[in-house]
Amino acid sequence: MIIFPTRRKLLSYAAAGCLALGIQTSARAADDIVIGASMPLTGAFGFAGIPLNLGIQDYLKIANDAGGIGGRKIKYVSEDTAYAVDKSIAAFNRITASEKVSLYYGDSTGFAKTINAELSRRDSILMAGTSFATELNDPKNFPYQFIPGPDYSQMIGILLEYIAKTTPGAKIALVNSDTEFGRDPIAATEKRAAELGLKIVGKIATPPTSVDVSTEVLKLRRADPDYTIFHGYVLAPLPEFMTQMKQLGLKSKFMGTFWSMDNSIWANSAAVADGYMGVMPYRYYFDTEGTSPTLDKIRQLRPEYQTIYYTQGFLTAMLMIEAAKRTLDAKKDLTASNMKASLNSIKDFDTGGIIGVPISISGNTIPVGRVYQYDGANKTMKPVSDWIKIAK
Amino acid sequence: MRISSAHETYAQAESFLDTNVQRVMLLLLFAGLVVFPFLADQYWIYLACLVAIHIVGTTGLNILTGYTGLISVGQAAFMSVGAYTVAILEIHVGTPFIFNLIAAGVVAAGVGAIFGVPSLRVKGLYLAIATIAASFILHFLYTNGPSILGGTQGLSMPPARLFGYDFVRPFQLYWLFVPLTALSVFAAANLFRTRIGRAFIAIRDRDISAEVLGIPLLKYKLLSFALSSFYAGVAGGMWAYFFRVVTPESFPLIYSIFFLAAVIVGGMGTILGGILGAIFMTVIPELLKLLVSYMTFIPDATAQLSPIRTIVFGLLIVMFLLFEPQGLAETWRRIRRFFHLWPFKK
Repeated sequence: MIIFPTRRKLLSYAAAGCLALGIQTSARAADDIVIGASMPLTGAFGFAGIPLNLGIQDYLKIANDAGGIGGRKIKYVSEDTAYAVDKSIAAFNRITASEKVSLYYGDSTGFAKTINAELSRRDSILMAGTSFATELNDPKNFPYQFIPGPDYSQMIGILLEYIAKTTPGAKIALVNSDTEFGRDPIAATEKRAAELGLKIVGKIATPPTSVDVSTEVLKLRRADPDYTIFHGYVLAPLPEFMTQMKQLGLKSKFMGTFWSMDNSIWANSAAVADGYMGVMPYRYYFDTEGTSPTLDKIRQLRPEYQTIYYTQGFLTAMLMIEAAKRTLDAKKDLTASNMKASLNSIKDFDTGGIIGVPISISGNTIPVGRVYQYDGANKTMKPVSDWIKIAK
Repeated sequence: MRISSAHETYAQAESFLDTNVQRVMLLLLFAGLVVFPFLADQYWIYLACLVAIHIVGTTGLNILTGYTGLISVGQAAFMSVGAYTVAILEIHVGTPFIFNLIAAGVVAAGVGAIFGVPSLRVKGLYLAIATIAASFILHFLYTNGPSILGGTQGLSMPPARLFGYDFVRPFQLYWLFVPLTALSVFAAANLFRTRIGRAFIAIRDRDISAEVLGIPLLKYKLLSFALSSFYAGVAGGMWAYFFRVVTPESFPLIYSIFFLAAVIVGGMGTILGGILGAIFMTVIPELLKLLVSYMTFIPDATAQLSPIRTIVFGLLIVMFLLFEPQGLAETWRRIRRFFHLWPFKK
């Protein structure tokens, strides 16, 4: 016979468990350099949070195996936030209350904006994260943050450079999700397109994961663009747009930005995605062109395919450690202002092939990227442009 | 041993607390709240502030759903009205934060009363769906409305300020939020000792009978919506001062579900239930997170166990609904009853 505990017993066990959790200890070597992270391991952004977390861990393992920073080990403390700003701030408070954190990885634009005043007040933590928001590319208002790649406006700027070169005077339609993320680059896109002699023939905003896009497709049919640039989505509704536009006989080419550029997300709709292009600041896991010792190391460490989100985490950790290393090498304290100055001293830095050209970080971003195109037959992204650097 | 609380005078009958034990307990609670920020680290103070905000929001929803029987899934939307009101006043007018919070409540109350109009014709799930409209309409307004609302980027606002002193960190805001929350809870508890509160309860128990008894449904249903939204507006204003960035995405629909869950888990129709529900919904996920972080014997426990933690939280809510359908408030009452006779009870 199964004996169920009584309700009172269950509740008392729960209370005892909660009390036991109140007692907290933390073990840390005194001179460890700590990287904290509010990481979206669950929730809407969990698909990216898990590989991002892994990428950071892997780079830090490599760095620690190589002796850390000047003999000091690097400790990584992350917490799940479920992609909610209040939980991200809670994680930040908990981690910084128990550890002397020097570097931090944030999980969203909302978190980056909310925590910014606290970062400025502390002047002890340099932060990067998942956000490529244009708003963060402002060293005056976001002095202790950086973006490990181009911001969203710069990403579209790279696409526009490519379009202007391959199809001068092309007609472009913008399809953006009706969110802060989606609307981010619209104004900058319009301005840059005008400068490059490109015509914006349509602007459409949809809910981020809308399914029925037939009305929008009819608008695009009237506009008949040469290129349709999507931004503010991961996958849906891009396949729906592309399928319906192709069915209507439109010849438009389709483009996207970072979050909709991972190889794996298109695997189940390879036929629809064939020819889809987009901007990518990093080399893909399977890129073998040229020499890329860091990618070789990643492939050795992880024989299975790693997403671009993994690469973002890996590179972010690399840049954070480089900033801390340069600061300590200059015999300076690990303050946010010192580390940011060290980060900005990075010139023609070799990422070991993660980015195909040497990089410089003069502001808050790395304004470089490349246009890749999806090959539906081989289910891989292939480069169709050289690396494009644009003005910051 | 206390076996009853006989009232010998009208003053005793009207007193807020029945016994000296209750008064002592309340004093101890206040003393604990005063000492807490000096003993706890920033993380726990942050959580305490968040709990304070959620208690105000949950108490507001409890007035509407728990006491008046009108289900609303618009609480987060009404909070957003308060948050935007505070942000705009703080950025463009520079009025004192107390005024801003009251204004946040008043504006939210007005908006809430408008969205409460369907309650005159529909109730139950139909009303819940009608209140969802508030989320969508207000989100659209914030995104596409006048530039003063900041568009998709929202508004970044300066901190609360009193006599030239900025309230920036959780430790500082704690001293604003906790008294404000205590005042809100006290006011709500008193509400149900008044004619208005009794009318709400009558409407919840049987609205047709209430109308027969002479309670105008139009007036009291809208009043309930307005009061509930006032609380939501104040909670939203506190939220704005706490995070200092208000965007259209700060108050998603799921946040309204959070408040509804807090009311149900805590115990509908009890002030204590709202408080306990808000604490449960805010603190338990964090405690589960702590539990995971202590599992150092599992490699990379944070990444491996996070999805399981989410499931456990969901199961905990289901367990409470199964084992304690009247909410945490009933558990508390049972504990109190046990101690009424302790140590003489067998």
